[in-house]
Amino acid sequence: MASLGSDVWRAICDKFTNAQNLTESRNDPENDPFRSKYKARELLREIYCSLKSFEAVDGEEDSSGESGDQRPIEPPVDGQREDVFGQGFSGDSPAGLRAAKLGAIEYYLGVNHIDTEELSAGQEHLMNCMKLLERCRVSSENVSLFIHVRNQLGILWAGRDETETAQGFLETAEYIYQRYMKEQTLALVFFFYVSSLYSARLTHSPFDFLQFSFLRFELAYTHTMYYLAQVYKNLGETERAATYCHTTLQRQLKLNQFSPMEWALNAATLSQYYITKGRYMEGRHCLSAATVISGLAGEVPSEAAAQESETESERREQLRQKRAEIARCWIKYCLNLLQDAKKLLEDNIGELDTDRQEELKRARRREEEEEEEEEKGRKNALLFGSEDTFDSIASLEEKVNCLSPLEFTEARAIFLVGQNYVTQAKEFFQMDGYVTDHIEILQDHSALFRGLAFFEEDLERRCKMHKRRVDMLEPICIDLNAQYYLLIRRQLMFELAETYNEMMDLKLSLANRQADTQSLDNHTIKKFNSLCSASIKYFQMFLDSLCSPEGKLPEHLEEEVLRPALVARFRVARLYSRLICSLPSIQLDNLNKSLENYKYVAQYCEAHPEAAAAVETELELSKEMVDLLPLKINRIKARMALNN
Amino acid sequence: MPPQIFSSAITLDGRTDGAVDSREKLLEFCFDYCYWSVDPADPHYASQEEVFQDLGVSVLSGASEGYNVCLFAYGQTGSGKTYTMMGTPDSIGLTPRICQVHHWIQDVVFSLCPRSFLEIYNERVRDLLRQGEQKKRASLRVREHPEKGPYVQDLSQHVVSDCKQAMDLLEEGIANRITAATHNHDASSRSHAIFTIQYTQATLENNLPSETVSKINLVDLAGSERADPHYCRDRLTEGSNINKSLVTLGIVISALAQNSQMSSSCQSINSMASEGDGSMVGSHSSSLSGGGGGGGRRHCFIPYRDSVLTWLLKDSLGGNSKTIMIATVSPSANSYNETLSTLRYAAHARNIVNKPRVNEDANVRLIRELREEIDRLKSMLLSFEMRNPSPSLSDERDGNLSEIVLQNELKVTQGRHRWLHLPDRQCSSQLIKPVFFHLI
Repeated sequence: MASLGSDVWRAICDKFTNAQNLTESRNDPENDPFRSKYKARELLREIYCSLKSFEAVDGEEDSSGESGDQRPIEPPVDGQREDVFGQGFSGDSPAGLRAAKLGAIEYYLGVNHIDTEELSAGQEHLMNCMKLLERCRVSSENVSLFIHVRNQLGILWAGRDETETAQGFLETAEYIYQRYMKEQTLALVFFFYVSSLYSARLTHSPFDFLQFSFLRFELAYTHTMYYLAQVYKNLGETERAATYCHTTLQRQLKLNQFSPMEWALNAATLSQYYITKGRYMEGRHCLSAATVISGLAGEVPSEAAAQESETESERREQLRQKRAEIARCWIKYCLNLLQDAKKLLEDNIGELDTDRQEELKRARRREEEEEEEEEKGRKNALLFGSEDTFDSIASLEEKVNCLSPLEFTEARAIFLVGQNYVTQAKEFFQMDGYVTDHIEILQDHSALFRGLAFFEEDLERRCKMHKRRVDMLEPICIDLNAQYYLLIRRQLMFELAETYNEMMDLKLSLANRQADTQSLDNHTIKKFNSLCSASIKYFQMFLDSLCSPEGKLPEHLEEEVLRPALVARFRVARLYSRLICSLPSIQLDNLNKSLENYKYVAQYCEAHPEAAAAVETELELSKEMVDLLPLKINRIKARMALNN
Repeated sequence: MPPQIFSSAITLDGRTDGAVDSREKLLEFCFDYCYWSVDPADPHYASQEEVFQDLGVSVLSGASEGYNVCLFAYGQTGSGKTYTMMGTPDSIGLTPRICQVHHWIQDVVFSLCPRSFLEIYNERVRDLLRQGEQKKRASLRVREHPEKGPYVQDLSQHVVSDCKQAMDLLEEGIANRITAATHNHDASSRSHAIFTIQYTQATLENNLPSETVSKINLVDLAGSERADPHYCRDRLTEGSNINKSLVTLGIVISALAQNSQMSSSCQSINSMASEGDGSMVGSHSSSLSGGGGGGGRRHCFIPYRDSVLTWLLKDSLGGNSKTIMIATVSPSANSYNETLSTLRYAAHARNIVNKPRVNEDANVRLIRELREEIDRLKSMLLSFEMRNPSPSLSDERDGNLSEIVLQNELKVTQGRHRWLHLPDRQCSSQLIKPVFFHLI
């Protein structure tokens, strides 16, 4: 650097600044979209030439350097790993610095060509940069360039569908960063970013400059992480992709390079990935971080303020909506945790398996005693947060368990957290304005109740929980416009039918448990029948919704309603045969209706053999009932005849 | 600008103009209709009238059957979307034709059909028919109403009394759109325009007056290459491309979560096809699953908002509507890439209808109970046959049958105490219960 005259050096700096500004220009006309970029390219070429000429003037150690130009063209694979730390000139030697400077210009030329869609030319410049760097050892002056150039090559090759090649460049970048950081922790303060060599004179404080270059370096690596996430995603390595997204988020936070709401929403979304994988600890951590970081976005403007100005109104809307969305992610966390626990604990007829419960509790105790170091390490690697947010994230995590609830009290704790988020989410997603969202939240709320009911041993209270589900879904199902919300109403109808069915079963169990006498009392029978009829009503409503506007049943059931429609038929058939009544004529009526519906299932599958696979068990049972039910019907007929 | 109206078997031949591209691939796409309207002299030339007869008429008949109908045009800028949808004064397009004929039907059924016309530019909704000072209001809010469905708040509705007024309205809206274009260069190719006709039909149902309301949405989409103003920034790149900017991190994570949710719920066949794939119909996968009782699936919420357009057309893309998509392409070899992507999109769009599924509890208990009942019925049948070997079961007039059945009956009722003390899960045997109550 010393050998460059200061005037010349200043001229180069100015040129470079110009080139940078041009590259970022957004004012190019539509018909000449790359005008500024072409101008920038010219400037970069001039700089390159000046540097080259200086090199010729003070080229003391050039002999080894020039030989690189004669090397055969290498395959586009990144073969540099170990050797970048061992061989070549040291990065801060004059030759090393020169190589880095030229390399940087090659890098910018490469990016410039890629920006103007001249990919092969871009690749050539980037590979020139690689070659120049090859002659150097990794050092603080060039390490950033080592990473940057590989990031660009990664993008380039991914764009050509050569994902493995891209992966190679990016993984080497990752390796270089990690190795460098391991060796250089103490030297961090002396970070240099090579492009800053040129803009150094423009900053006023050397300290600013150091910090700036440090950040650029770290950001380059954040991008490496992000690109690798995408490469792994494209390679179908979902889990690795998620880990790299996680790291990307972690680094954004650590480097304070994020906008709170955007970050929070991304973390909340990532939690949903973890939840679908059943990784609740990670999911909870993402969600807690999301909640805490979203708080950094500031207070929601008041309604009054929102009425004053359009921007405040928009901000209010945005903040409230995103916080409500994070709440909805929390709901799913609680819901899945409950449902997973249910799957874990239920016996073959969907009731709590107490043996299994004891077994799991014992296993849980064992685990708690010997929480492994490995596990802790895994937790630590995932942690989000800077010093000031760390504690609030942790305290939020403590409020809800991330292990499957094994008994009612644990389940209830999770339920309550979920219910709390339901209230929060509904505050924004109100019925008036956000119908679909609002109902989706209600459906989750209902599902939370359903999950909790599984753990409730008291049948009376269990029944009340299902009643709560009915109470929240029924009015909506009836009031919604049938045409616009057809699909959502179908779901509601099905759920209501099932809930009524569930309540009916519970009522009967209760009655039988209590009845020491010989019969069910009239009240119970009435209750039972009304629940049974309600269930039939909603299944029937569902089936009616499949009809054409003229009320005709479709000949052919669409794939997505095929199973629900046949199952609804099957269940209606069953329900009709369960209605309790004293009049044989009505009983006969009900059994005939039952038979009719069993027949429908059997006949539909006969006419559409492809449907059979979707309802295997139901079909088998329906066929049997079609054969056997007439026996029962005839018996009643016979008895009626006898009584007359 | 040679108009291209199109939508049936399209053969895309990269070789036609070797100078531009040396592709040797021959690609074929199939659609319901296909029109060629480059040169009026061409024997295959399809006129606006012909297109209207095929598509416009089916729009009208769909609406009169009570369906919501949506017709939209998609394609590269300059390939003739607006020509198809709106037309030129000499060669009017689908929208004005539908307006005219529709008006005629309207007179017959005596109903009011308010119209509205809006534009979506940069995710902001503008009323194209708003008069006077209210014009200034920046952006209208899109909402969902429990009764009215998705709607635009404060969007002006216009009832017209004759065909001429309807056309004036349409022209006014188009003019407003063009005004905007002068402020924003090329705005019209970046904005979507939706013309909506509410169609109310009064009918008598069981001698009670009833109303069927349906909507016709006629959509002139933005140019396919720039439908999204953040095209380069926010759109998830296709295939194996890498998004450069961290701004897209959210999309990458959403895609991960969505894929993972789908693969965990993928027991049911084809369930993936119904989920939007991030393009126009990228509705966040509603927490709904296919049938197939039980399974280890977990549902999550992906906080990725639909675009305003998707939101507004929600009901059109749902199950109870008829949707017609017109893909417009240019015959020029220069447009090979755009044409290919338009055709791919159109072929794909057939599958990306938003179809949420019905959740179902796995009801093992019910099945078990039923099996028990079947066993009981079978054993009864067996004992019945043993005692009464000759007459067939279905012979209801057999005199002996009744008696035998009755005897059977009494036997069964004697078992009632046993039934009552069975553990509660098994007690609901319907075979016995009704009879039991009858006899008491």
